[in-house]
Amino acid sequence: MTVKNKIKKYINWILSKPKTIIYLVFITLLFIVCSDILEQYRIEKNRKHFEMNNTLEVIHKNIEQSLNNAYGSVLTLTLSINDNGIPENFDSIAKQVISSDNSIAIVKLIPEGVIRHIYPLKGNESEIGLNILASKVHQTAALKSIKNRKIYFEGPFKLTGGELGIAGRLPVYKKNKFWGFSVVVIQLENLLKNSGINSIDPSKYQFQFSRRNPITSKEDFFLPMEEDLSKNNFISTIIPYSNWTLYLIDKNPNSLYASLITDCLLGFVLAALFGILTIIILKKTTELKLLVNRQKTSLLKKEKKFKAIFDQAAVGIAYIDSYSGQFIEVNEKYCKLLEYSAEELKQMGIQSIIHPADLKKSLLHLEKLYNGEIREYSMEKKYLSKSGNTIWVNITVSPLWKVNESPTNHIVIMENITKRKNIEKLANHNESRFKTLFDHSPVGLWEKDYSEVKKYLSDLNLINKSPEEVTLFLKNNPGALKKCLSLIKIIDVNNQCLIQYAPKTKSELIENIDIFFGKESVFSFPKLLVAICTGVHYLKLDIKIKNPKGEIRDMHLIYRTINGYEDTLKRVIITTDDITERKSAEKTILNSQQKIESLINTIDGIVWEYDAETLKFNFISKKVEDILGYSAEEWLGNPTFWEDHLHPEDKDITLKYCAEQNNLNLNYDFEYRMIAKNGDTVWFRDIVNVIVENDKATSLRGIMIDITKNKEIEKDLNDSFNLASEQNKRLLNFSYIVSHNLRSHTSNILSIVDLIETSESEEEKEEMIQLLKSVSDSLNETMLNLNEVVNIQTNVGLVTEDVNLKQYLDNTLNVLSDQIEMKGVNVISSIKKDIEVNYSPAYLESILYNLISNAVRYSHSERNPTITIDYYVEKNMKVLQVSDNGIGIDLNKNGHKIFGMYKKFSNHKDSKGIGLFITKNQIDAMGGNITVESELNRGTTFKIYIA
Amino acid sequence: MKERKIWIIDDDPIYQIIMKKVINRSGLFSSVCTFPNGKEAIKSLKGIIQNDEIFPDIILLDIEMPVLDGWGFMDEMAILKSQINAEMQIYISSSSIAIEDMERAKNNSDILGYLSKPVNLEDLINIIT
Repeated sequence: MTVKNKIKKYINWILSKPKTIIYLVFITLLFIVCSDILEQYRIEKNRKHFEMNNTLEVIHKNIEQSLNNAYGSVLTLTLSINDNGIPENFDSIAKQVISSDNSIAIVKLIPEGVIRHIYPLKGNESEIGLNILASKVHQTAALKSIKNRKIYFEGPFKLTGGELGIAGRLPVYKKNKFWGFSVVVIQLENLLKNSGINSIDPSKYQFQFSRRNPITSKEDFFLPMEEDLSKNNFISTIIPYSNWTLYLIDKNPNSLYASLITDCLLGFVLAALFGILTIIILKKTTELKLLVNRQKTSLLKKEKKFKAIFDQAAVGIAYIDSYSGQFIEVNEKYCKLLEYSAEELKQMGIQSIIHPADLKKSLLHLEKLYNGEIREYSMEKKYLSKSGNTIWVNITVSPLWKVNESPTNHIVIMENITKRKNIEKLANHNESRFKTLFDHSPVGLWEKDYSEVKKYLSDLNLINKSPEEVTLFLKNNPGALKKCLSLIKIIDVNNQCLIQYAPKTKSELIENIDIFFGKESVFSFPKLLVAICTGVHYLKLDIKIKNPKGEIRDMHLIYRTINGYEDTLKRVIITTDDITERKSAEKTILNSQQKIESLINTIDGIVWEYDAETLKFNFISKKVEDILGYSAEEWLGNPTFWEDHLHPEDKDITLKYCAEQNNLNLNYDFEYRMIAKNGDTVWFRDIVNVIVENDKATSLRGIMIDITKNKEIEKDLNDSFNLASEQNKRLLNFSYIVSHNLRSHTSNILSIVDLIETSESEEEKEEMIQLLKSVSDSLNETMLNLNEVVNIQTNVGLVTEDVNLKQYLDNTLNVLSDQIEMKGVNVISSIKKDIEVNYSPAYLESILYNLISNAVRYSHSERNPTITIDYYVEKNMKVLQVSDNGIGIDLNKNGHKIFGMYKKFSNHKDSKGIGLFITKNQIDAMGGNITVESELNRGTTFKIYIA
Repeated sequence: MKERKIWIIDDDPIYQIIMKKVINRSGLFSSVCTFPNGKEAIKSLKGIIQNDEIFPDIILLDIEMPVLDGWGFMDEMAILKSQINAEMQIYISSSSIAIEDMERAKNNSDILGYLSKPVNLEDLINIIT
């Protein structure tokens, strides 16, 4: 088991890694192919080697044979030499030798190393006499041959005929003594022909033979070299009794590789093909496996889904054995509905839960099902739950056997309809209650059917048209209107209607449809039709009707569709309330209200009402428009209108006062200013009544009376009073001045006269008379001054004209130039040339003189006197300012009398106390004003305000 | 006859001359001093306090004067009062007929009376008896 599992696991692992498998298969196949190819190569190579060796061996043998033959020939030739070392019958033996061996071209006898005999001699004559032992070329080989006492082949070299030949030299010993050489010369061509090299495939192999050069000891090759010997592509063998090496060279050493490459390629392709094949196979397997998995999942899902549907269905489902009535499977809902557990139900059977009253009917249906009369059935019936409650259900029973099969199982699908049944019951109950209410309602109720009307309107294509269109249509088609009226059906009316309309019988009322929309209310019916067309379900109308008694009654009519009949309008309730009495009462009230309002609006003041709870004005009389320019709506539309339009100067104090008074709950009466729409200030006297209910102010009512005119008059009066007071004061002051000044002189005169009368000497008398004279002078001066003041005050001879300020200032400074120079006063003037003021020239001259001369006179002794004269505009008033840095005046002590007559503030000899008095009088007379700022020891500034 | 010193504080030089004449003729006072304003008189009073000299018995005081008027003088007097060990009788002598001046004089306990100008012999006799 475990092994099997392991294998399975392994296979699975493999299958899960198809790429690895492919690599594995590919590499394995490649390995097999490669080793096979290598083996083949090895065999082929051996075979080739063997073939070459054989070939070479055959050649070697053949050459050796040829040489042996040559050796035989040499021995034969040697036989021609007799024991004395003299050749006998050389030519014939030579001829015989040559004829017996066609490869031998020449035979020689070389006694003592010198060539003496040659056959055939012809063409080789030049060799006769050649000592080979002395020849460099042949010496080595010849000596070697002597030493070994063996035949030695030498060559090849060129023969006289031009062809190549080799010489085989046999040292000949006679009596153990070296005699010379017996030599055969073999034609190389013949030798090679005999060796069989011609049978060698020249495309495959080349034959070669070489000789070690005796002089250079280098290897000389005799056949043309076609292939390079450096490669390991040849085999060789050495021929005995010579210095020759035979070679067999492979012309195509790479032919093996070529076939190898083809094999390799073939192997590779095969391996690759196998790999691909494996992929395809594996893929197929994987796909199949996936398909299986998918179908498995899908099956599982379906099963789950079915299970879920079964378990969590909103309806109860039961799977029942048709014969026994036993439950095979029930779902959760089924159990829940019946309050039993699934196990309990399975033990019980269906019969025990069906209400006894329905059992018979159920069995009847089932029987039909068994007999095949019906294929399924539905019925509403009652079940009994575990706790004994009756449950209304709607069941659908479907058999699970096919037609003509015997019954097996069936499925019951059960829906709980208890709630619906209860509602139905309640609805029935409600209907009867509604009927009772309807009949006994204190208002008139009509139940009507407007469905025909709606249909008709629909036929006329008026449904969903705009109210304007519908109204227009009805206006132009009075016939349609009438038709509509005739299509209304009255279903029922209640008792109150009978009272309201006083018909003789109920049916009379029901038949008399026109009663609502008779000629008294001809405009109302189209409104109702418009409502129907635009889908309005609720409408209020005030109409007039004429009841059968001929009385005109005011009715309040409410049209309302009954829920559920909004579309068909089969049931519509019309409520009618007889409001004739109410209407007349309303009219009376309206009349009296209008009367009051018109009365209020005629009152010359703003009548208002303010709600203390909502803190809003709820009434403002129309007069507001006349007085303030704002409309009552503007006022009422802004909760803070009153506060906002109070005069800024009065706002705080007014609001504070109101708050205080309102807290006291007492009526009050106060004055304040408001700003009208055109920006004017309006004075009001506001008389406020506080309406108190349960010790709490509920509202404020009042009237705002425009007292602007009174205020103006009051102001004028005040102004006049102030003027009179001022003048009175001045008059009194003047009278004091007059009396004081005159009295001081008169008292002096009295005293002097008295002294004169009682004087004892003429001398004294004379003295007194002198005194009297000076008093009369002073009196005269005083009188003049007073006269001047009176003149100023009565404006006698006052002429004003535009005067140039700078010019007058310069004149004054000129007049005072001596004093200015004497005191070293620095005068600074900022007055520009072109400044002109409308003033009395004489006064201006006098004012400038008095102020500047004062400034010069009362200069401070401890500093450089400076007088500054400026002109500027301050608050619409032209100001001429004269400042000095003189001794100053203590204004705390003397401020009140600085401009008084004969008020002097120093002991200065020129101080008369009249200058400033006159100056002030002059300035006042010009409608201006003079102020003074001064500090003791610092200086004084006078400001003359020019009106 | 008891030595009596009288001071006249008035800015009217003619009045000063007249009063000197009247006082001299009356023979009621051993010495008469005149001051053009209150300030000068206060200065003199300070000198008397400092040098422990004899204070005047009677002072005739005008109201309207430059520099320091009659009321100003009375204010300064009130400051010096503690240092004055003699009884000085101060009378207002003014040509003013303003009722407020009279009232003010009446309300000031340091002022013994109000003499309207011209002041004659009888007046002087009245105030010293």
